[in-house]
Amino acid sequence: MPDKKTHLEDHLTAAPFQEAAETVEAIRHGKVDAIVVQGPNGPQVVVLQGAEEPYRVLVERMSDGAATIDNDGTVIFANNRLATMSGRAIGDLVGQNFGSLFAGGAPPLQPDVTAQAQLCCSGDKTLPVAVSASPLHIGETRATLITLADQTIHRQAIETANAERFARSILEQATDAIAVLGKDGVILHASAMADELAARPVAGELFMDAFPLQTGKEANAGVLARFSAESMNTLLATKPFHGVEVRMNSERMAHRTFLLSAGPLLNEEKTSIGSIVTLTEITDRKRAEEQQTMMVAELNHRVKNILAIVQSVAFQTTRNAASMQAFNDTFSGRIQAIAIAHDILTQTRWIGVGLRELVEKVLAPYRAEDRAISVEGPPILLPARSVMPLSMVVHELATNASKYGALSQPHGSLTIAWTMDAQKAIKLTWQESGGPAVGEPTGTGFGTKLIDRVITFDLEGEFQMDYAPTGITCTLTFPLKADISPDALPGSATRPH
Amino acid sequence: MTEQDGYNLRLYVAGQTPKSLNAIANLKKLCEKHLTGRYTIEVIDLMKDPALAQRDQIVAIPTLIRQLPEPLKRIIGDLSNAEKVLVGLDIAPT
Repeated sequence: MPDKKTHLEDHLTAAPFQEAAETVEAIRHGKVDAIVVQGPNGPQVVVLQGAEEPYRVLVERMSDGAATIDNDGTVIFANNRLATMSGRAIGDLVGQNFGSLFAGGAPPLQPDVTAQAQLCCSGDKTLPVAVSASPLHIGETRATLITLADQTIHRQAIETANAERFARSILEQATDAIAVLGKDGVILHASAMADELAARPVAGELFMDAFPLQTGKEANAGVLARFSAESMNTLLATKPFHGVEVRMNSERMAHRTFLLSAGPLLNEEKTSIGSIVTLTEITDRKRAEEQQTMMVAELNHRVKNILAIVQSVAFQTTRNAASMQAFNDTFSGRIQAIAIAHDILTQTRWIGVGLRELVEKVLAPYRAEDRAISVEGPPILLPARSVMPLSMVVHELATNASKYGALSQPHGSLTIAWTMDAQKAIKLTWQESGGPAVGEPTGTGFGTKLIDRVITFDLEGEFQMDYAPTGITCTLTFPLKADISPDALPGSATRPH
Repeated sequence: MTEQDGYNLRLYVAGQTPKSLNAIANLKKLCEKHLTGRYTIEVIDLMKDPALAQRDQIVAIPTLIRQLPEPLKRIIGDLSNAEKVLVGLDIAPT
Protein backbone atom coordinates (compact mmCIF):
# COMPACT_ATOMS: atom_id res chain seq x y z
CA MET A 1 0.00 0.00 0.00
CA PRO A 2 2.49 2.66 -1.11
CA ASP A 3 -0.07 5.50 -1.14
CA LYS A 4 -1.07 4.95 2.45
CA LYS A 5 2.50 4.86 3.63
CA THR A 6 3.25 8.17 1.93
CA HIS A 7 0.23 9.88 3.49
CA LEU A 8 1.09 8.52 6.90
CA GLU A 9 4.67 9.67 6.65
CA ASP A 10 3.62 13.11 5.41
CA HIS A 11 1.26 13.46 8.28
CA LEU A 12 3.76 12.34 10.82
CA THR A 13 6.44 14.73 9.61
CA ALA A 14 3.93 17.56 9.75
CA ALA A 15 2.84 16.80 13.33
CA PRO A 16 4.85 17.90 16.31
CA PHE A 17 7.78 15.59 16.73
CA GLN A 18 6.77 14.03 20.05
CA GLU A 19 3.27 13.21 18.92
CA ALA A 20 4.59 11.69 15.73
CA ALA A 21 7.06 9.61 17.65
CA GLU A 22 4.36 8.43 20.00
CA THR A 23 2.12 7.47 17.09
CA VAL A 24 4.85 5.49 15.37
CA GLU A 25 5.75 3.83 18.65
CA ALA A 26 2.11 2.93 19.30
CA ILE A 27 1.73 1.41 15.87
CA ARG A 28 5.00 -0.45 16.20
CA HIS A 29 4.05 -1.94 19.53
CA GLY A 30 0.59 -2.91 18.37
CA LYS A 31 -1.20 -0.49 20.72
CA VAL A 32 -3.51 0.57 17.96
CA ASP A 33 -5.41 -1.55 15.47
CA ALA A 34 -6.60 1.09 13.02
CA ILE A 35 -5.07 4.11 11.35
CA VAL A 36 -6.48 7.04 9.44
CA VAL A 37 -5.00 7.64 6.02
CA GLN A 38 -5.77 10.20 3.38
CA GLY A 39 -7.63 8.55 0.57
CA PRO A 40 -8.71 10.12 -2.71
CA ASN A 41 -12.04 11.07 -1.09
CA GLY A 42 -10.71 12.34 2.23
CA PRO A 43 -9.68 10.55 5.40
CA GLN A 44 -10.19 6.77 5.49
CA VAL A 45 -9.90 4.30 8.33
CA VAL A 46 -7.72 1.26 7.69
CA VAL A 47 -8.00 -1.58 10.14
CA LEU A 48 -4.60 -3.11 10.76
CA GLN A 49 -3.84 -6.80 10.66
CA GLY A 50 -5.04 -8.56 13.78
CA ALA A 51 -8.11 -6.44 14.17
CA GLU A 52 -10.10 -8.78 12.01
CA GLU A 53 -9.48 -11.61 14.49
CA PRO A 54 -13.15 -12.15 15.33
CA TYR A 55 -13.92 -12.39 11.63
CA ARG A 56 -11.01 -14.73 11.13
CA VAL A 57 -12.35 -16.98 13.90
CA LEU A 58 -15.74 -16.88 12.28
CA VAL A 59 -14.33 -17.80 8.90
CA GLU A 60 -12.27 -20.57 10.46
CA ARG A 61 -15.33 -22.07 12.05
CA MET A 62 -17.47 -21.92 8.95
CA SER A 63 -18.75 -25.26 7.75
CA ASP A 64 -17.98 -24.09 4.20
CA GLY A 65 -14.56 -23.64 2.68
CA ALA A 66 -13.43 -19.99 2.40
CA ALA A 67 -10.56 -18.23 0.64
CA THR A 68 -9.54 -14.69 -0.09
CA ILE A 69 -7.95 -13.97 -3.43
CA ASP A 70 -6.31 -10.77 -4.60
CA ASN A 71 -6.87 -9.00 -7.88
CA ASP A 72 -4.40 -11.27 -9.62
CA GLY A 73 -6.32 -14.36 -8.57
CA THR A 74 -3.73 -15.48 -6.05
CA VAL A 75 -4.97 -17.13 -2.87
CA ILE A 76 -3.91 -14.95 0.06
CA PHE A 77 -5.97 -16.72 2.71
CA ALA A 78 -7.64 -20.12 3.06
CA ASN A 79 -9.55 -21.53 6.02
CA ASN A 80 -9.15 -24.94 7.63
CA ARG A 81 -12.31 -26.28 6.07
CA LEU A 82 -11.03 -25.57 2.57
CA ALA A 83 -7.78 -27.33 3.47
CA THR A 84 -9.81 -30.36 4.64
CA MET A 85 -12.01 -30.35 1.56
CA SER A 86 -9.07 -30.20 -0.83
CA GLY A 87 -6.88 -32.50 1.24
CA ARG A 88 -4.03 -29.95 1.17
CA ALA A 89 -2.33 -27.86 3.88
CA ILE A 90 -3.32 -24.20 4.21
CA GLY A 91 0.30 -23.30 3.47
CA ASP A 92 0.04 -25.15 0.14
CA LEU A 93 -3.09 -23.30 -0.84
CA VAL A 94 -1.85 -19.78 -0.05
CA GLY A 95 0.10 -18.38 -2.99
CA GLN A 96 -1.57 -20.71 -5.52
CA ASN A 97 -3.51 -19.39 -8.46
CA PHE A 98 -7.17 -19.78 -7.53
CA GLY A 99 -8.05 -21.36 -10.88
CA SER A 100 -5.46 -24.09 -10.36
CA LEU A 101 -7.49 -25.41 -7.43
CA PHE A 102 -10.22 -26.61 -9.78
CA ALA A 103 -10.47 -29.32 -12.41
CA GLY A 104 -11.43 -27.39 -15.53
CA GLY A 105 -10.26 -23.96 -14.37
CA ALA A 106 -11.70 -21.26 -12.13
CA PRO A 107 -15.47 -20.98 -11.96
CA PRO A 108 -16.92 -17.59 -12.97
CA LEU A 109 -16.79 -15.25 -9.97
CA GLN A 110 -19.64 -12.78 -9.89
CA PRO A 111 -21.23 -11.28 -6.82
CA ASP A 112 -24.44 -13.04 -5.75
CA VAL A 113 -24.02 -15.79 -8.36
CA THR A 114 -23.34 -19.35 -7.28
CA ALA A 115 -21.32 -21.44 -9.72
CA GLN A 116 -20.82 -25.19 -9.74
CA ALA A 117 -17.23 -26.44 -9.92
CA GLN A 118 -15.07 -29.47 -9.23
CA LEU A 119 -12.49 -28.85 -6.51
CA CYS A 120 -9.27 -30.85 -6.98
CA CYS A 121 -8.58 -33.11 -4.01
CA SER A 122 -5.63 -35.25 -3.10
CA GLY A 123 -5.35 -38.52 -4.99
CA ASP A 124 -6.68 -37.08 -8.30
CA LYS A 125 -10.18 -36.95 -6.91
CA THR A 126 -12.59 -34.08 -7.27
CA LEU A 127 -15.28 -32.76 -5.00
CA PRO A 128 -18.41 -31.03 -6.35
CA VAL A 129 -18.67 -27.56 -4.81
CA ALA A 130 -20.91 -24.53 -5.11
CA VAL A 131 -18.69 -21.45 -5.38
CA SER A 132 -19.87 -17.96 -4.51
CA ALA A 133 -17.85 -14.74 -4.42
CA SER A 134 -18.24 -11.38 -2.74
CA PRO A 135 -16.01 -8.35 -3.21
CA LEU A 136 -13.89 -7.31 -0.26
CA HIS A 137 -12.10 -4.03 0.39
CA ILE A 138 -9.03 -4.04 2.58
CA GLY A 139 -8.39 -0.34 2.74
CA GLU A 140 -7.96 0.54 -0.87
CA THR A 141 -6.96 -2.96 -1.83
CA ARG A 142 -9.66 -4.88 -3.60
CA ALA A 143 -9.91 -8.57 -2.98
CA THR A 144 -12.55 -11.26 -3.32
CA LEU A 145 -13.90 -13.50 -0.60
CA ILE A 146 -14.79 -16.92 -1.96
CA THR A 147 -16.92 -19.51 -0.21
CA LEU A 148 -17.08 -23.13 -1.35
CA ALA A 149 -19.96 -25.33 -0.20
CA ASP A 150 -19.47 -29.10 -0.35
CA GLN A 151 -22.26 -30.29 -2.63
CA THR A 152 -22.05 -33.88 -1.41
CA ILE A 153 -23.24 -32.64 1.99
CA HIS A 154 -25.95 -30.69 0.22
CA ARG A 155 -26.92 -33.81 -1.71
CA GLN A 156 -26.97 -35.83 1.51
CA ALA A 157 -29.30 -33.23 2.97
CA ILE A 158 -31.56 -33.59 -0.06
CA GLU A 159 -31.40 -37.37 0.23
CA THR A 160 -32.25 -37.16 3.94
CA ALA A 161 -35.15 -34.87 3.15
CA ASN A 162 -36.32 -37.27 0.43
CA ALA A 163 -36.00 -40.22 2.81
CA GLU A 164 -38.03 -38.31 5.36
CA ARG A 165 -40.70 -37.54 2.77
CA PHE A 166 -40.68 -41.19 1.70
CA ALA A 167 -41.06 -42.41 5.30
CA ARG A 168 -43.84 -39.92 5.85
CA SER A 169 -45.71 -41.09 2.77
CA ILE A 170 -45.40 -44.70 3.96
CA LEU A 171 -46.90 -43.68 7.28
CA GLU A 172 -49.68 -41.83 5.49
CA GLN A 173 -50.60 -44.65 3.15
CA ALA A 174 -49.91 -47.74 5.26
CA THR A 175 -52.94 -49.96 5.68
CA ASP A 176 -51.66 -50.95 9.12
CA ALA A 177 -51.73 -48.71 12.16
CA ILE A 178 -48.13 -47.64 12.67
CA ALA A 179 -46.87 -45.58 15.60
CA VAL A 180 -43.36 -44.30 16.16
CA LEU A 181 -42.64 -44.25 19.90
CA GLY A 182 -40.05 -42.33 21.88
CA LYS A 183 -38.20 -44.22 24.62
CA ASP A 184 -40.85 -43.16 27.15
CA GLY A 185 -43.62 -44.77 25.10
CA VAL A 186 -45.05 -41.48 23.84
CA ILE A 187 -46.25 -41.56 20.23
CA LEU A 188 -44.09 -39.24 18.12
CA HIS A 189 -45.64 -40.00 14.73
CA ALA A 190 -48.65 -42.06 13.75
CA SER A 191 -49.95 -43.37 10.44
CA ALA A 192 -53.28 -42.16 9.13
CA MET A 193 -54.64 -45.64 9.90
CA ALA A 194 -53.49 -45.36 13.54
CA ASP A 195 -55.36 -42.10 13.92
CA GLU A 196 -58.39 -43.65 12.28
CA LEU A 197 -58.26 -46.68 14.58
CA ALA A 198 -58.15 -44.51 17.70
CA ALA A 199 -60.68 -42.09 16.11
CA ARG A 200 -58.43 -39.14 16.97
CA PRO A 201 -54.91 -37.87 16.26
CA VAL A 202 -52.75 -39.86 18.68
CA ALA A 203 -49.35 -38.15 18.39
CA GLY A 204 -48.26 -36.97 21.83
CA GLU A 205 -50.25 -39.60 23.73
CA LEU A 206 -48.81 -42.59 25.58
CA PHE A 207 -49.27 -45.67 23.40
CA MET A 208 -51.38 -47.49 25.98
CA ASP A 209 -53.68 -44.46 26.33
CA ALA A 210 -54.30 -44.43 22.59
CA PHE A 211 -54.43 -48.22 22.17
CA PRO A 212 -55.36 -49.88 25.49
CA LEU A 213 -54.06 -53.40 24.95
CA GLN A 214 -55.43 -56.18 27.12
CA THR A 215 -52.73 -57.32 29.49
CA GLY A 216 -52.22 -59.18 32.78
CA LYS A 217 -55.21 -61.21 33.96
CA GLU A 218 -57.67 -59.82 31.42
CA ALA A 219 -59.64 -62.34 29.36
CA ASN A 220 -57.88 -62.01 26.01
CA ALA A 221 -54.44 -60.92 27.16
CA GLY A 222 -52.72 -63.92 25.53
CA VAL A 223 -48.96 -63.40 25.39
CA LEU A 224 -49.34 -60.04 27.16
CA ALA A 225 -50.68 -61.83 30.26
CA ARG A 226 -47.13 -61.66 31.62
CA PHE A 227 -47.10 -57.85 31.59
CA SER A 228 -48.88 -55.07 33.41
CA ALA A 229 -50.57 -52.24 31.52
CA GLU A 230 -48.21 -49.72 33.16
CA SER A 231 -45.09 -51.51 31.94
CA MET A 232 -46.31 -51.84 28.35
CA ASN A 233 -45.40 -48.28 27.25
CA THR A 234 -41.75 -48.75 28.14
CA LEU A 235 -41.69 -52.37 26.95
CA LEU A 236 -43.03 -51.46 23.52
CA ALA A 237 -40.50 -48.65 23.23
CA THR A 238 -37.53 -50.80 24.17
CA LYS A 239 -38.25 -54.50 23.53
CA PRO A 240 -39.02 -56.24 20.25
CA PHE A 241 -42.40 -57.96 19.76
CA HIS A 242 -43.12 -60.16 16.76
CA GLY A 243 -46.68 -60.83 15.64
CA VAL A 244 -48.27 -61.04 19.06
CA GLU A 245 -52.04 -61.49 18.91
CA VAL A 246 -53.71 -58.78 20.98
CA ARG A 247 -57.12 -57.35 21.81
CA MET A 248 -58.05 -54.02 23.28
CA ASN A 249 -59.91 -52.66 26.28
CA SER A 250 -62.02 -50.37 24.23
CA GLU A 251 -65.69 -50.57 23.47
CA ARG A 252 -65.10 -49.69 19.83
CA MET A 253 -62.33 -52.23 19.38
CA ALA A 254 -63.52 -54.96 21.76
CA HIS A 255 -64.40 -57.51 19.08
CA ARG A 256 -61.39 -56.88 16.89
CA THR A 257 -58.14 -58.83 16.92
CA PHE A 258 -54.76 -57.33 16.02
CA LEU A 259 -51.24 -58.54 15.45
CA LEU A 260 -48.79 -56.41 17.42
CA SER A 261 -45.19 -56.00 16.31
CA ALA A 262 -42.55 -53.66 17.66
CA GLY A 263 -38.97 -53.11 16.62
CA PRO A 264 -36.27 -50.61 17.54
CA LEU A 265 -35.95 -47.25 15.79
CA LEU A 266 -32.25 -46.68 15.20
CA ASN A 267 -30.40 -43.42 14.66
CA GLU A 268 -27.34 -42.96 12.43
CA GLU A 269 -25.10 -44.40 15.16
CA LYS A 270 -27.31 -47.52 15.21
CA THR A 271 -28.45 -46.83 18.75
CA SER A 272 -32.09 -47.24 19.61
CA ILE A 273 -33.94 -43.96 20.09
CA GLY A 274 -37.40 -45.49 20.36
CA SER A 275 -39.45 -48.03 18.45
CA ILE A 276 -41.83 -48.57 15.58
CA VAL A 277 -45.02 -50.32 16.63
CA THR A 278 -47.40 -51.89 14.11
CA LEU A 279 -50.96 -53.02 14.74
CA THR A 280 -52.36 -55.18 11.93
CA GLU A 281 -56.03 -55.99 12.13
CA ILE A 282 -56.64 -59.72 11.69
CA THR A 283 -60.27 -59.87 12.79
CA ASP A 284 -61.46 -61.17 9.39
CA ARG A 285 -58.55 -63.57 9.02
CA LYS A 286 -59.17 -64.83 12.55
CA ARG A 287 -62.85 -65.33 11.83
CA ALA A 288 -62.04 -67.23 8.62
CA GLU A 289 -59.58 -69.40 10.51
CA GLU A 290 -62.18 -70.22 13.14
CA GLN A 291 -64.72 -71.02 10.44
CA GLN A 292 -62.23 -73.26 8.69
CA THR A 293 -61.41 -75.10 11.91
CA MET A 294 -65.11 -75.57 12.50
CA MET A 295 -65.67 -76.83 8.97
CA VAL A 296 -62.84 -79.33 9.21
CA ALA A 297 -64.32 -80.65 12.48
CA GLU A 298 -67.76 -80.82 10.83
CA LEU A 299 -66.35 -82.64 7.82
CA ASN A 300 -64.60 -85.19 10.05
CA HIS A 301 -67.83 -85.71 11.88
CA ARG A 302 -69.80 -86.23 8.66
CA VAL A 303 -67.28 -88.63 7.22
CA LYS A 304 -67.52 -90.61 10.44
CA ASN A 305 -71.32 -90.57 10.18
CA ILE A 306 -71.31 -91.80 6.61
CA LEU A 307 -68.87 -94.58 7.42
CA ALA A 308 -71.12 -95.62 10.30
CA ILE A 309 -74.15 -95.63 8.00
CA VAL A 310 -72.30 -97.58 5.27
CA GLN A 311 -71.08 -100.08 7.86
CA SER A 312 -74.57 -100.52 9.22
CA VAL A 313 -76.14 -100.88 5.77
CA ALA A 314 -73.44 -103.35 4.69
CA PHE A 315 -73.93 -105.42 7.83
CA GLN A 316 -77.68 -105.61 7.45
CA THR A 317 -77.57 -106.22 3.70
CA THR A 318 -75.23 -109.17 4.29
CA ARG A 319 -77.61 -110.69 6.81
CA ASN A 320 -80.50 -110.62 4.34
CA ALA A 321 -78.77 -111.34 1.04
CA ALA A 322 -79.35 -114.75 -0.51
CA SER A 323 -76.31 -114.60 -2.75
CA MET A 324 -73.23 -112.52 -3.38
CA GLN A 325 -74.86 -111.08 -6.51
CA ALA A 326 -77.97 -110.12 -4.55
CA PHE A 327 -75.80 -108.47 -1.89
CA ASN A 328 -73.92 -106.60 -4.56
CA ASP A 329 -77.07 -105.23 -6.24
CA THR A 330 -78.80 -104.24 -3.05
CA PHE A 331 -75.73 -102.77 -1.42
CA SER A 332 -74.80 -100.67 -4.49
CA GLY A 333 -78.36 -99.33 -4.70
CA ARG A 334 -78.31 -98.33 -1.06
CA ILE A 335 -74.89 -96.72 -1.32
CA GLN A 336 -76.18 -94.91 -4.43
CA ALA A 337 -79.00 -93.43 -2.35
CA ILE A 338 -76.48 -92.21 0.20
CA ALA A 339 -74.32 -90.78 -2.60
CA ILE A 340 -77.26 -88.92 -4.16
CA ALA A 341 -78.15 -87.41 -0.81
CA HIS A 342 -74.53 -86.47 -0.25
CA ASP A 343 -74.24 -84.88 -3.69
CA ILE A 344 -77.31 -82.77 -3.11
CA LEU A 345 -76.05 -81.70 0.31
CA THR A 346 -72.65 -80.76 -1.08
CA GLN A 347 -74.25 -78.74 -3.85
CA THR A 348 -76.40 -76.87 -1.38
CA ARG A 349 -73.44 -76.52 1.04
CA TRP A 350 -75.26 -78.59 3.65
CA ILE A 351 -77.90 -75.94 4.09
CA GLY A 352 -80.64 -78.39 3.12
CA VAL A 353 -82.65 -79.28 0.04
CA GLY A 354 -86.21 -79.16 -1.26
CA LEU A 355 -88.21 -82.31 -0.58
CA ARG A 356 -89.38 -82.46 -4.21
CA GLU A 357 -85.83 -82.18 -5.53
CA LEU A 358 -84.68 -85.01 -3.32
CA VAL A 359 -87.57 -87.32 -4.28
CA GLU A 360 -87.13 -86.58 -8.01
CA LYS A 361 -83.39 -87.28 -7.85
CA VAL A 362 -83.77 -90.58 -6.09
CA LEU A 363 -86.58 -91.70 -8.43
CA ALA A 364 -84.86 -90.58 -11.61
CA PRO A 365 -83.44 -94.06 -12.48
CA TYR A 366 -86.93 -95.55 -12.19
CA ARG A 367 -88.70 -93.18 -14.52
CA ALA A 368 -89.76 -94.60 -17.84
CA GLU A 369 -92.27 -93.52 -20.50
CA ASP A 370 -94.81 -96.13 -19.64
CA ARG A 371 -94.68 -95.48 -15.91
CA ALA A 372 -96.75 -92.77 -14.31
CA ILE A 373 -94.87 -91.33 -11.39
CA SER A 374 -96.33 -88.21 -9.88
CA VAL A 375 -94.81 -86.13 -7.14
CA GLU A 376 -97.09 -83.64 -5.39
CA GLY A 377 -96.81 -81.43 -2.34
CA PRO A 378 -96.01 -77.94 -1.13
CA PRO A 379 -92.41 -76.75 -1.29
CA ILE A 380 -90.56 -77.82 1.84
CA LEU A 381 -86.91 -77.24 2.62
CA LEU A 382 -85.54 -80.30 4.33
CA PRO A 383 -82.81 -79.66 6.85
CA ALA A 384 -79.47 -81.28 5.98
CA ARG A 385 -79.91 -83.78 8.74
CA SER A 386 -83.09 -85.26 7.22
CA VAL A 387 -81.80 -85.54 3.67
CA MET A 388 -79.79 -88.74 3.90
CA PRO A 389 -82.36 -90.79 5.89
CA LEU A 390 -85.19 -89.73 3.63
CA SER A 391 -83.12 -90.48 0.54
CA MET A 392 -82.52 -93.99 1.85
CA VAL A 393 -86.22 -94.50 2.63
CA VAL A 394 -87.34 -93.36 -0.82
CA HIS A 395 -84.67 -95.55 -2.40
CA GLU A 396 -85.82 -98.60 -0.44
CA LEU A 397 -89.45 -98.05 -1.41
CA ALA A 398 -88.53 -97.50 -5.08
CA THR A 399 -86.34 -100.62 -5.17
CA ASN A 400 -89.11 -102.61 -3.63
CA ALA A 401 -91.63 -101.23 -6.15
CA SER A 402 -89.35 -102.03 -9.06
CA LYS A 403 -88.88 -105.60 -7.88
CA TYR A 404 -92.33 -106.54 -6.66
CA GLY A 405 -94.68 -103.55 -6.95
CA ALA A 406 -96.09 -100.99 -9.38
CA LEU A 407 -92.75 -100.21 -11.03
CA SER A 408 -92.20 -103.87 -11.96
CA GLN A 409 -95.02 -103.69 -14.54
CA PRO A 410 -95.21 -101.65 -17.74
CA HIS A 411 -98.35 -99.73 -16.72
CA GLY A 412 -97.87 -99.40 -13.01
CA SER A 413 -98.26 -96.01 -11.43
CA LEU A 414 -96.85 -94.36 -8.35
CA THR A 415 -97.98 -91.25 -6.49
CA ILE A 416 -95.89 -89.55 -3.89
CA ALA A 417 -97.67 -86.73 -2.07
CA TRP A 418 -97.02 -84.81 1.11
CA THR A 419 -98.57 -82.22 3.35
CA MET A 420 -97.33 -80.28 6.33
CA ASP A 421 -99.46 -79.24 9.30
CA ALA A 422 -99.19 -76.21 11.56
CA GLN A 423 -96.79 -78.06 13.90
CA LYS A 424 -94.51 -78.63 10.94
CA ALA A 425 -95.18 -82.35 10.90
CA ILE A 426 -94.79 -83.79 7.42
CA LYS A 427 -97.03 -86.56 6.23
CA LEU A 428 -95.69 -88.28 3.11
CA THR A 429 -97.75 -90.89 1.32
CA TRP A 430 -96.28 -93.40 -1.12
CA GLN A 431 -99.06 -95.04 -3.09
CA GLU A 432 -98.63 -97.71 -5.76
CA SER A 433 -101.19 -99.08 -8.19
CA GLY A 434 -101.31 -101.10 -11.41
CA GLY A 435 -98.73 -103.55 -10.20
CA PRO A 436 -99.11 -107.28 -9.49
CA ALA A 437 -101.64 -108.22 -6.85
CA VAL A 438 -100.30 -107.54 -3.41
CA GLY A 439 -100.52 -109.94 -0.53
CA GLU A 440 -99.50 -109.57 3.11
CA PRO A 441 -95.74 -110.33 3.32
CA THR A 442 -94.74 -113.49 5.08
CA GLY A 443 -91.76 -111.96 6.92
CA THR A 444 -90.17 -108.59 7.40
CA GLY A 445 -87.43 -107.95 4.78
CA PHE A 446 -84.47 -105.81 5.43
CA GLY A 447 -85.93 -103.01 3.29
CA THR A 448 -88.87 -102.69 5.63
CA LYS A 449 -86.62 -102.94 8.67
CA LEU A 450 -84.33 -100.26 7.30
CA ILE A 451 -87.24 -97.93 6.61
CA ASP A 452 -88.60 -98.55 10.07
CA ARG A 453 -85.28 -97.85 11.75
CA VAL A 454 -84.51 -94.77 9.73
CA ILE A 455 -87.97 -93.26 10.22
CA THR A 456 -88.02 -94.03 13.90
CA PHE A 457 -84.51 -93.12 14.90
CA ASP A 458 -83.21 -90.65 12.33
CA LEU A 459 -86.37 -88.76 11.43
CA GLU A 460 -88.01 -89.34 14.82
CA GLY A 461 -91.25 -90.12 13.03
CA GLU A 462 -93.65 -92.99 12.33
CA PHE A 463 -94.09 -95.44 9.50
CA GLN A 464 -97.12 -97.39 8.39
CA MET A 465 -97.53 -99.95 5.58
CA ASP A 466 -100.84 -100.91 4.07
CA TYR A 467 -100.77 -103.96 1.81
CA ALA A 468 -103.98 -103.46 -0.20
CA PRO A 469 -104.35 -105.93 -3.11
CA THR A 470 -104.27 -103.06 -5.68
CA GLY A 471 -100.97 -101.81 -4.41
CA ILE A 472 -99.12 -100.85 -1.25
CA THR A 473 -99.56 -97.57 0.52
CA CYS A 474 -96.81 -96.40 2.79
CA THR A 475 -97.36 -93.42 5.08
CA LEU A 476 -94.45 -91.63 6.72
CA THR A 477 -95.00 -89.01 9.38
CA PHE A 478 -92.05 -87.05 10.72
CA PRO A 479 -91.44 -83.59 12.17
CA LEU A 480 -89.55 -81.00 10.15
CA LYS A 481 -86.76 -80.33 12.61
CA ALA A 482 -83.98 -77.96 11.74
CA ASP A 483 -82.43 -78.08 15.16
CA ILE A 484 -81.42 -81.68 15.30
CA SER A 485 -77.95 -81.71 16.79
CA PRO A 486 -75.43 -82.16 13.98
CA ASP A 487 -72.95 -83.69 16.39
CA ALA A 488 -74.98 -86.81 17.03
CA LEU A 489 -74.43 -89.87 14.87
CA PRO A 490 -77.55 -90.99 13.01
CA GLY A 491 -79.67 -93.09 15.33
CA SER A 492 -80.12 -95.87 12.76
CA ALA A 493 -76.37 -96.39 12.70
CA THR A 494 -75.82 -96.43 16.45
CA ARG A 495 -78.87 -98.23 17.79
CA PRO A 496 -78.51 -102.01 18.25
CA HIS A 497 -79.67 -103.89 15.15
CA MET B 1 -18.66 20.05 37.92
CA THR B 2 -17.01 23.31 37.12
CA GLU B 3 -15.14 24.07 34.01
CA GLN B 4 -11.96 24.35 36.02
CA ASP B 5 -11.80 20.92 37.53
CA GLY B 6 -13.99 19.03 35.01
CA TYR B 7 -12.48 16.62 32.48
CA ASN B 8 -13.86 16.75 28.99
CA LEU B 9 -12.59 13.68 27.13
CA ARG B 10 -13.02 12.61 23.53
CA LEU B 11 -12.21 9.02 22.48
CA TYR B 12 -11.71 8.16 18.82
CA VAL B 13 -12.46 4.52 17.93
CA ALA B 14 -12.78 2.47 14.72
CA GLY B 15 -15.99 0.45 14.92
CA GLN B 16 -15.63 -2.59 17.11
CA THR B 17 -11.98 -3.43 16.70
CA PRO B 18 -10.65 -5.17 19.82
CA LYS B 19 -8.49 -2.20 20.85
CA SER B 20 -11.37 0.23 20.34
CA LEU B 21 -13.60 -1.84 22.60
CA ASN B 22 -10.81 -2.17 25.18
CA ALA B 23 -10.15 1.55 25.13
CA ILE B 24 -13.82 2.40 25.82
CA ALA B 25 -13.97 -0.08 28.69
CA ASN B 26 -10.64 1.01 30.21
CA LEU B 27 -11.50 4.70 30.01
CA LYS B 28 -14.87 4.29 31.68
CA LYS B 29 -13.33 2.22 34.45
CA LEU B 30 -10.54 4.67 35.04
CA CYS B 31 -12.83 7.74 35.06
CA GLU B 32 -15.28 6.14 37.46
CA LYS B 33 -12.43 5.39 39.82
CA HIS B 34 -10.43 8.60 39.66
CA LEU B 35 -12.74 11.30 38.27
CA THR B 36 -16.09 10.38 39.74
CA GLY B 37 -18.63 13.00 38.77
CA ARG B 38 -15.99 15.19 37.18
CA TYR B 39 -15.88 14.01 33.57
CA THR B 40 -17.69 13.70 30.30
CA ILE B 41 -16.72 11.22 27.57
CA GLU B 42 -17.53 11.61 23.90
CA VAL B 43 -16.91 8.45 21.85
CA ILE B 44 -16.40 9.12 18.14
CA ASP B 45 -16.54 6.20 15.72
CA LEU B 46 -14.38 7.06 12.73
CA MET B 47 -15.68 4.05 10.83
CA LYS B 48 -18.99 5.86 10.63
CA ASP B 49 -17.54 9.23 9.78
CA PRO B 50 -13.80 9.21 8.94
CA ALA B 51 -13.86 12.94 8.23
CA LEU B 52 -14.12 13.65 11.96
CA ALA B 53 -10.49 12.50 12.22
CA GLN B 54 -9.42 15.82 10.84
CA ARG B 55 -10.71 17.79 13.81
CA ASP B 56 -8.10 16.45 16.20
CA GLN B 57 -5.70 15.27 13.52
CA ILE B 58 -6.16 11.65 14.47
CA VAL B 59 -3.74 9.20 12.85
CA ALA B 60 -3.88 6.09 15.02
CA ILE B 61 -6.93 4.54 16.58
CA PRO B 62 -7.82 4.36 19.40
CA THR B 63 -6.73 7.84 20.50
CA LEU B 64 -7.93 9.73 23.57
CA ILE B 65 -7.97 13.56 23.51
CA ARG B 66 -8.21 15.56 26.71
CA GLN B 67 -9.99 18.71 25.65
CA LEU B 68 -10.44 20.12 29.12
CA PRO B 69 -8.79 21.03 31.26
CA GLU B 70 -6.36 22.65 28.89
CA PRO B 71 -3.85 22.13 27.48
CA LEU B 72 -5.10 19.57 25.00
CA LYS B 73 -3.47 16.20 25.56
CA ARG B 74 -3.35 13.09 23.44
CA ILE B 75 -2.93 9.45 24.45
CA ILE B 76 -2.63 6.76 21.82
CA GLY B 77 -3.53 3.11 22.48
CA ASP B 78 -6.14 1.06 24.28
CA LEU B 79 -5.49 2.76 27.65
CA SER B 80 -4.67 -0.56 29.30
CA ASN B 81 -1.75 0.91 31.26
CA ALA B 82 -3.75 2.90 33.82
CA GLU B 83 -0.72 4.52 35.42
CA LYS B 84 0.50 5.89 32.16
CA VAL B 85 -2.96 7.23 31.34
CA LEU B 86 -3.22 8.99 34.70
CA VAL B 87 0.15 10.63 34.12
CA GLY B 88 -0.75 11.54 30.57
CA LEU B 89 -3.98 13.19 31.66
CA ASP B 90 -2.43 14.85 34.71
CA ILE B 91 -4.74 13.11 37.11
CA ALA B 92 -3.45 12.52 40.58
CA PRO B 93 -4.16 8.94 41.65
CA THR B 94 -6.80 8.86 44.40
